[in-house]
Amino acid sequence: MPTVTYIEPDGNRITIEHAEGTLMEIALDNDVDGIEGSCGGVCSCSTCHVRIPQEWREKVGKTNPAEQDLLDFKVDADESSRLGCQVELTPELDGLVVQVEKL
Amino acid sequence: MTKYSCPYDPFTSVRKEQGIHLGTFNGEKIPMILRPKDIKAAAMDTETFSSDTPYRVPIPSEEEVRKYRQLPIETNPPEHTDYRNLIEPLFRRPAKREFIARIEALITDQLNAALAAGEAIEVVSEFSLPLQCKALTLLLNVPMSESERWLRWGMNVFTGENRVEKGSQLEQYLDEKFTQALADEPGDDFFSILAHAELKGRRLTKDEMMGYGNLAFAGGRDTVINMVTAVVGYLAEHPDDLVRLRETPKLANTAAEEFARVVSPVGHIGRTCPAGATVAGHTIEPGQRVALTWGAANFDESVFEDPEKIRLDRKPNPHIAYGFGAHTCIGATHARTIIRTLFKVLSEHLERIEFIECTQNREAGPNLDRHAPYDTLTVRFMSRNQP
Repeated sequence: MPTVTYIEPDGNRITIEHAEGTLMEIALDNDVDGIEGSCGGVCSCSTCHVRIPQEWREKVGKTNPAEQDLLDFKVDADESSRLGCQVELTPELDGLVVQVEKL
Repeated sequence: MTKYSCPYDPFTSVRKEQGIHLGTFNGEKIPMILRPKDIKAAAMDTETFSSDTPYRVPIPSEEEVRKYRQLPIETNPPEHTDYRNLIEPLFRRPAKREFIARIEALITDQLNAALAAGEAIEVVSEFSLPLQCKALTLLLNVPMSESERWLRWGMNVFTGENRVEKGSQLEQYLDEKFTQALADEPGDDFFSILAHAELKGRRLTKDEMMGYGNLAFAGGRDTVINMVTAVVGYLAEHPDDLVRLRETPKLANTAAEEFARVVSPVGHIGRTCPAGATVAGHTIEPGQRVALTWGAANFDESVFEDPEKIRLDRKPNPHIAYGFGAHTCIGATHARTIIRTLFKVLSEHLERIEFIECTQNREAGPNLDRHAPYDTLTVRFMSRNQP
């Protein structure tokens, strides 16, 4: 199972090995700072905002319509933004590093 | 006879065709904004759609029942951010495992008491109201015994015929609590946090404290009560879903969101347009109020497939039952924990919920009102452990 690293808002890095689930779920299970996941992953809030580094964007893929709708209203969102609840950590994403924004 | 009609959408055609419904509240013409995108845009534009209007964020208005601004809701950013930050940490606690465990214990005790009595119960007054009051003591970090006083206020502290009297009971209570908190050493309960807080280098005024207190009790009372009752009513009519929830515990998370959507406990809330605005081709006059109609947005068929159908596994579910933007409900974490845990406890403990009777109001009225799912609901809980 894949490994993922979260860079918390204060710069601290948390690496989770054998991670399973969405980027939101994995973050919540591992108490990653900056991810709240208020709505439980149904695309109703935007408290699981992560930034995907340029080199990972093609593999991670683009936003879906419900997700983009929310990010459109988020002032600090840009082309690096994804909502963690909409990104499943697949084997292809082994080694992924994401930046977490301050809530 | 069973009667379940919790998800209902009086706005279906007007939302599609006009996007705005012109409501009249206490003689005031208030355009009701109905479409999700328009509502979200308005919620994000706090200058055009202002909340800096004491007594006039709730519709119609609350001059009769209080003499101070509700906080932080009746302010705009940037002041709003500073006000909200004072209590945000307290209101985030319900996401933590220890808090969730305490809510689970509370709901389990409430359910077990009903089971032990073995009789039919009226859910609103005998289950949902006590549950909401006790849960609130956990959120505000005050002794559970405080809930006994709050219970005596009954439902609808600010609506109904006794609202002025009830409003002054609440005011007396809050005044007593804040006065005591000011005299005591700083503590970690809601009243003490505010009594000793510093906002940009100064302490809060008594009116500011009262404003927070008023909202803490107004915001999470009938909202939570209505969602809890709706869940019980639904499961009474859909016993198969008790089994589904038991077999797939994670379903409680999406189910809680779906119930927020279909109940939409705060159907609408107000904003004032100091300079006027244009929404969905309609002109809002300078100084006119609008209603952000969360309850209409949550049934938009262009966003939600089969919006009047309850799907416990609905995902995505981009509802705005808890609002949007800076003023997103600060009690949402608490509400979500209660409803998710409610699904868990009911499904783990109950074989079935027997529906006995209910009373409901479905009169739409000129403002296409959406009422509470049940005014009364009588059921009998049937334990899985029954001999």
